[in-house]
Parts: sequence; C-alpha cells; structure tokens
Amino acid sequence: MDVFGVFAQFWPELLSGVGITIKLAGLGAIIAGFLAPLLALVRVNGGPAAQVPLRFYISFMRGTPLLAQMFLIYYGSGQFRPFLQDIGLWNFFREPFNCALLAFVMNSTAYQTEILRGGIMGVPHGEIEAGKAVGMSYVMSLRRVVFPHAYRIAWPALGNEIILLIKASALASVVTVFDLMGQTRAIFQKTFDFSVYIWAAVLYLCLTAAFVWIWRRFEHRLSPHIHGKRPSLLGAMTKRETA
Amino acid sequence: MAEAVVLKAEDICKSFGSLEVLKGITLEARNHDVISILGSSGSGKSTFLRCLNMLDPPTSGKVSVHGEEIVVKNGHPADMRQVERARQRLGMVFQQFNLWTHRTAIENVMEGPIHVLKQPKAEVKERAEALLVRVGLAERMNMYPSQLSGGQQQRVAIARALCMEPDAILFDEPTSALDPELVGEVLRVMQSLAAEGRTMIVVTHEMSFARDVSTEVVFMHKGKIAEQGPPKEMFGSPKTEVFQKFIADVR
Repeated sequence: MDVFGVFAQFWPELLSGVGITIKLAGLGAIIAGFLAPLLALVRVNGGPAAQVPLRFYISFMRGTPLLAQMFLIYYGSGQFRPFLQDIGLWNFFREPFNCALLAFVMNSTAYQTEILRGGIMGVPHGEIEAGKAVGMSYVMSLRRVVFPHAYRIAWPALGNEIILLIKASALASVVTVFDLMGQTRAIFQKTFDFSVYIWAAVLYLCLTAAFVWIWRRFEHRLSPHIHGKRPSLLGAMTKRETA
Repeated sequence: MAEAVVLKAEDICKSFGSLEVLKGITLEARNHDVISILGSSGSGKSTFLRCLNMLDPPTSGKVSVHGEEIVVKNGHPADMRQVERARQRLGMVFQQFNLWTHRTAIENVMEGPIHVLKQPKAEVKERAEALLVRVGLAERMNMYPSQLSGGQQQRVAIARALCMEPDAILFDEPTSALDPELVGEVLRVMQSLAAEGRTMIVVTHEMSFARDVSTEVVFMHKGKIAEQGPPKEMFGSPKTEVFQKFIADVR
C-alpha cells in the first residue's frame, strides 16, 4: 500500500474521472432542473388527466432503486436495438454515459418536481393575489412572484437533492462509465492498492463541499430577507446616489 | 357638475357553493368619491370589494370600469386580458398587506409599473421614491417587508397601489391587521389621499374615517345594502334599525 504513490502515479486518471462525474451529475441536475418547474406546475394546477400519469411516474422513480432504473435503460435498450436503430436513437443508447445520464435525469426530475411542488405550494396566497391585483397575467405572476418565491423556499432541499445526485453518479461506473468511481475501480484492479479508494473518497468530499459552498452563496444572495444581509443591489445603489 | 363614473357595480350576486354571500349589490363610484363600506363581519363587504376587481368574480351582475363591462361567464371572466387591464386601473390594498417578501420596499412599489405597465425604469424609480417619501418611508426604501412594522408595510402597500397611477383604489380593511398604535399612521395617509381627490372604496371598521373622511357611506347587512348616504345623514339620523344597532355596538 502506497497512499501517495498511487496518487502520484494515477492523478491524471482520477482527475479525468472527476471531470466525468461533474459532467454527469451537472448535466443531469441541470436538465432535470429545466423539466422540474414545468412538471411541478402540472402537479400543482394540472387536471387529473395530467396528474395521474405524472404521479405514477414520480412514484416509480422515487420508489425503485436508481441502479435498477439505470440497468433498465442500459440493458433494456440493448434488447430493443433493432427498433432503436430504426428510429435513429441507437447512437444515443449505445453510449453508457448517455444511458446513465438519462437515468439520472429521469430520477432527479421526479425528486426535483416534488421539491418544487412544495415550494410553489408554500408561496403565500396573498402575494399571488397582490400580483393579480396589479394586473399581472398568469405567466407574469409565475415569473415575477411564484417561481422567485418557490425557488427560495425550495433552494436548500434542491441542494440536498443535487448532493445525492453527485454521490449517486458513482453508480454509473457499474455500466462502464469512467467517472471518478469507474477510474478508481480500474486503478484498483491494476494495482490492488485499496488506498486509491481513500483518494476517491477525498475527491468526492471535495466535490460536494465545493458544491455546498457555492449553493450557500447563492442562497444568501437570493434570500437576504431571510438571512438578514443587505442585498448587494443596495450597496450599488447607494454608491451611485452618493456619487 | 356630475363627475365621470369610474366604477359601477350592478346587481352583484355572489355565492360560494350553496352559501349566498351577496344578494344584489348596486354601487357607483364617481371621480373623487370616497366610499366607506361598513358592516359586521360576514355581511359580505370584503367579498363585494373583491368582486370589483374580479379576485372573486361575481356569480351574476355587472361590473364596469369607465363604462367598459367586464364580461363574466359561468362565474369566470371571459377575457383575462380585459380583467388585467381593469386591475391596472384599480389599485388594491389588502388587510394583510401582501407585500412580496422577497423584494425590498421600493422594489415592491416599482414592480407593477415596470413589469406590468412597461414604463421606463428611471421614471418609475423617481416616482416610487417620491411616493415612499410621501408615506413617510424615506429611510426604509431598501428594507425588506420582514424588517418593517405592520403600519410601515401597509404604507408601502399603499405606495405600491399609487405607483400604478390608478383611477380608483380599493382598500380591504387596511387597518384591521394593525396594532392599535399603528392604525393612525395608515389612516393619515389615506386621509391625505382623500384630500387630494383620489377615488377610493374603503371597506373598514374605522368609524371616524367613515364619518369624517368619506363622501358616502354604505352599510351592508347580510349580503345587501341596508342603508346608504352621506356620512352626516347616516351617522346623524340612521334610518334602519340594523344600522342604529351597528353604530351603538361599535361605540
């Protein structure tokens, strides 16, 4: 066992693994982040025809293991190869990275939708009425009142979900993606030096710690009314006024 | 002599399920009118006010703003654009202030003119600052609602309504959620608005405001207008028994 020797020898592989992990979790969280607000609106306002399939989808995604979902997409798509080739999607599904990403997007969309639904339902009714009373349209009140407020409520829980996603992305290594965990396993198989797993743990910890730091910064900037800090806008305005 | 009619409600009825809250209310607000609507709780006065800007669309009856009828079909406005236009001309001040808590006082005031009326930001900012100064909040423009007292929040809410430059302002029990010592500061602002000839419809429990400031008093009882007239007459010689009893109870 040579803790530093392993790192000295294999750091380029480990770092490229970190890159893939960031890409996988980041893309997954961002794509899910675009889908979730739309679905959350359906969860809050949609009719039964839209609700029932959506609730079924969310229950499925939250009620089954992510690993199973990923296998379903990765191995399942292989079963349907002729069909996928016919409709031109085989090029997408033949890449393990894409299969893992799709699984993460589908899974995280379900969680983020429910988190945002809670945020939307937490927006005080009176503030929505105040928007109506100044003549805002439905879309504008979503943009100016409902979502700005809902995201502030949901922000910590969304951060939590993304941290879980970063860690869950290690599952992608099982379907031959060379993310941080995939690289770590490959290095271990070459060297049988388990200390490489310590380095993997350290790197995951750095990733999540960095994410938490960034997320908190945003939280404070978004919600100075909760954190009691003066908004940066105020500083800029007073400077201009005194100038 | 007669001023233009800003807001007209004809035979407004409103039911929530089987509960009949309003049973045919007719009221006209002309320019510079200050109409106080009194009534015990459950008389339907707040519901009536919310019918006027379609926050609760009436079950039947007509509301017109500047002669333009807001079309309601099956309890829903037929044309939301028309409702939005009407709301832009009718300010509203709520009992619970309903400021947007994630925006500062001045952002609250500027929001409507900039984003709804699409007015240039610099112009709106100037007006918003002047309004906040006017309601006595020059020092607190950049504070968040959670950093303001109830009376201050309500004055921001009034400035927010004023900044839209509305033709009339609806007040829904603007002082009912305030501590007694904060009521005065809000009433003084409202009084100054009345003095400059603003058209106002005020649902209130403040007898002194109804008596001394308003040009007309409406007393509602069980979903109907029980008595209506100039404040001097109404308070000097109340005609109906229910209003006599109401005044006696409040005193």
